[in-house]
Amino acid sequence: MAITIRLATIDDLQGMQNANLSNLPENYTFKYYLYHLLSWPQASFVATTTDPELLEQDETQVTDIKKDTQYVRSGEKIVGYVLGKMDDDPDSTDKETPHGHVTSLSVMRTYRRMGLADKLMRQCLFALCENYKAEYVSLHVRKSNRAALHLYKDTLKFEVLSIENSYYQDGEDAYYMKKKLKLDELLASTFQNAQEEDDLESDLLEGIVVDGVSAL
Amino acid sequence: DSVIKRNSNHAQSFTLKGLVLESSDLPEKDEAESYVQKGLKKNPKQPLACHIAGIYYRQVKNYAEASKWYQAALDNNSTNKGIWRDLSTMQSQIRDYKNLPKSRLEFLEEQSGYRCNWTGAALAHYLNGDYAAAEKVLTKIEDVIKGSLGESDMYEHSECHLLKNKIIADSGDYARALKDLDELVEGGEVRDGTALLEFRALYLEKLGRDQEASKIYRQLLKRNPDNVDYYHSLERTLGTLNKPAALRLALYEKLARFYPRSDPPKFIPLTFLKGDAFEKKLREYILGQLKRGVPATFVNVKPLYKRKSNIPVIFKIVNEFYNSEENSDPLIHTWTAYFLAQHYYRIHDYKNAIAIIDEAIHLTPTLVELYIVKARIYKRINQLEKASSIMEEARLMDLQDRFINYKSTKYFLRANNINAAVDTISLFTKNDETSNGVADLHTMQCIWFLTESADAYFRLYKSALQQIETVKKTPSETQAEELFNLNKDVVTYSGLALKRYGAVIETFGVYWDDQLDFHQYCLRKGTPRAYLDMLSWGDHVFHQPIYMKSLVGYSNVTFDILHNEEYFKEVLTARPVKKSKKEKKEEGKKRELLIKYARANVKDEDVLGETLVKKLVDMKNKDKLGELTKLITKSEYDLSIDSQILKFKLNFELKKFVLCLQSLNKIHAVNATHPSIGALYLKLHQELNDSNVQDAIKKILILGLTKNFGTLVKNENRELVIDELVKIYLKHDT
Repeated sequence: MAITIRLATIDDLQGMQNANLSNLPENYTFKYYLYHLLSWPQASFVATTTDPELLEQDETQVTDIKKDTQYVRSGEKIVGYVLGKMDDDPDSTDKETPHGHVTSLSVMRTYRRMGLADKLMRQCLFALCENYKAEYVSLHVRKSNRAALHLYKDTLKFEVLSIENSYYQDGEDAYYMKKKLKLDELLASTFQNAQEEDDLESDLLEGIVVDGVSAL
Repeated sequence: DSVIKRNSNHAQSFTLKGLVLESSDLPEKDEAESYVQKGLKKNPKQPLACHIAGIYYRQVKNYAEASKWYQAALDNNSTNKGIWRDLSTMQSQIRDYKNLPKSRLEFLEEQSGYRCNWTGAALAHYLNGDYAAAEKVLTKIEDVIKGSLGESDMYEHSECHLLKNKIIADSGDYARALKDLDELVEGGEVRDGTALLEFRALYLEKLGRDQEASKIYRQLLKRNPDNVDYYHSLERTLGTLNKPAALRLALYEKLARFYPRSDPPKFIPLTFLKGDAFEKKLREYILGQLKRGVPATFVNVKPLYKRKSNIPVIFKIVNEFYNSEENSDPLIHTWTAYFLAQHYYRIHDYKNAIAIIDEAIHLTPTLVELYIVKARIYKRINQLEKASSIMEEARLMDLQDRFINYKSTKYFLRANNINAAVDTISLFTKNDETSNGVADLHTMQCIWFLTESADAYFRLYKSALQQIETVKKTPSETQAEELFNLNKDVVTYSGLALKRYGAVIETFGVYWDDQLDFHQYCLRKGTPRAYLDMLSWGDHVFHQPIYMKSLVGYSNVTFDILHNEEYFKEVLTARPVKKSKKEKKEEGKKRELLIKYARANVKDEDVLGETLVKKLVDMKNKDKLGELTKLITKSEYDLSIDSQILKFKLNFELKKFVLCLQSLNKIHAVNATHPSIGALYLKLHQELNDSNVQDAIKKILILGLTKNFGTLVKNENRELVIDELVKIYLKHDT
């Protein structure tokens, strides 16, 4: 099931709620998810499986949707999500600067080590900056969550601002982290270490010759 | 009360009393509606009384009735113009789009200084398919506010621009939509760059300008090189989908150089390559991931199993690697075995699957993922308790991880071990008010837990019925008591199954209600496009397969109870077999334990669902299917086979055979060889020979059935008919 990463839509919310309930201890009712997407429609993303048809396929393509809350459409299962927003807290300490906040991020355990969380986050950061003019984004991480800390600190270059004592309901401390956003430094394709760049103009098929016949 | 005393005809006081009672915790709360109705009866044209009635019905979530009374208040010259806004909320909620424009426009006239009211009016036109009117309203407000927008208005402004552009496109005029888009880009007021590009690509393609569209998809790939759709669209617009595989491969190799960390340019070629090229690319794909220890390596290539000739190639590559010297890192070796186990599982070779997963576990006993696969294999071969104990073993290795906790809980439920499931999942829930997490999982709308618990209770109910048959066959000293206890189990578990399926049905009702606040909110917040998405999601919320599954479960228990009404009546009123004090105490303990593990909320007075069962049995005949009929009607969907099967069963109970015929034909239209068709057809076929069925009905049935079932309809030999049906509809059902 090759994975795709795309903008979250209202249809995905139940699957996101389900992924959240399966992975994380902080849960929300559906209306809170709905509130996110109807307030900041461009700020949340999902990673889903796909079930592409093959050339000369033998088995019939399944079109029924599995009776499972993870599935959005046939063959399309939510395996990760990021729920993003702009800070609209009336008690916010910084009401002057527009800034984003990541409410929740998770990837199913069996889909880790593919860089999905990283990719979801990059889409989210770019969108918060482009659509809502967020100047920075902040989030909380459990002190014990080393994988997440590594992602934010080392991969995404967040900085730890403070430690908030007993931030979580079970008493655990949280790191409060922040990253400044600059749109031209956030484009997803620039984090690929690519040797070549698409110039967006030249003919992609030029120079491709097949079986002695030019493809053109 | 004192006004009513002085003037017993004061309609508005009666309705107000009803409304106040509804909002209160007084014992007379139940009488709230009767006061509202009394008031309306006294003077159905009193505007304030009508308005209060509207508010009352909104509060009790009867939106159609609320809409009716808001409208009545306005029709009777209420001077409160705010009612138009409340009316439009009700109309949006019940999808009464026909009357929506009037309400939105009336309110716009009242408060034209707010952009949200213009957007609301435009959307009302749009939802009625009047694109021209919608566009006109949006243009007008654009002109009015030009130059007076502040920074905080700009997001809304951007979204309204895009809404208007979408409306032009939806009217079918892509050329004008494209021109409008050019102006939007020029104006620089639209923020959503992805939408600008996606719209442009779509319009160019619709206009047959594929080459230009392909360049837009390339821009989109720069924004998100992990979106599979963009690659497919790029190929579609480049016209390479039907070109030789070698050319397509070369294209993807180029794209993979642009985006070396993205999966699609590596994976997509595997869907069209064959022979040596396929093997070479597949080897790179699989081994690359295995060497990095990607747990999902197998799942990533699983779609390739749909072409039979791929399977030996996949196996060869991985098996060779497994046995090669190159593979010396024990962890990589383990992940390779993990892949092979899933491969065997996929080709139904469970013996080898178990053998190799055991090898993997032996190699690296601390890897949770291995146990997950091993448990799944045992689940597939129906050793549910063993599966569950393996999953539990994995959970104990990582107590901090909710994912493995969820897996173990689910497997406990599959093994009908509900108490262990509840104890397990409660480690991650909020248990402030109850002794475990069942209540929290209801509040948090944990659909998977509710459906899995419902299924478990349903299986326990069926198994109690079966045990009764066994006990009946073998007389013994304790037979009477055993039967008494089992009969009690039947009631308890059927009641609990009803409760849990019912909880899913209720949760979906809450989802649907959740829309209510957003009919105004989105207009104010400036998110009309997302709002339209919400409406179409809401239109299908009760058609979702996971919802249908619970509705089917709920209906099955209900039909079961109604078909065995006498039995349930007897059990519900049965006097206990004489019991010693000790036995009574034990029974009390058993009940306490059941309640402890089933309590769905603090206030629940019918934790075990016994009252639900009793109510169903005691109801008057004509009411028995009333609630179910409402639910089934609400979720009816022509394209859902489950929905049509349900409707068939319901109408069969109600002896409305022509409606059954309709459902059968709809199922046939969706899937002409669906395995359910045989059994449903047979039910109707038998009615043709029933002397209680009117001849006129029989004629309609014969006519309607002949279309899809031909000469079978006239065949009077039941055995032959069954043989024929099995041959056609159950041949795949092994």
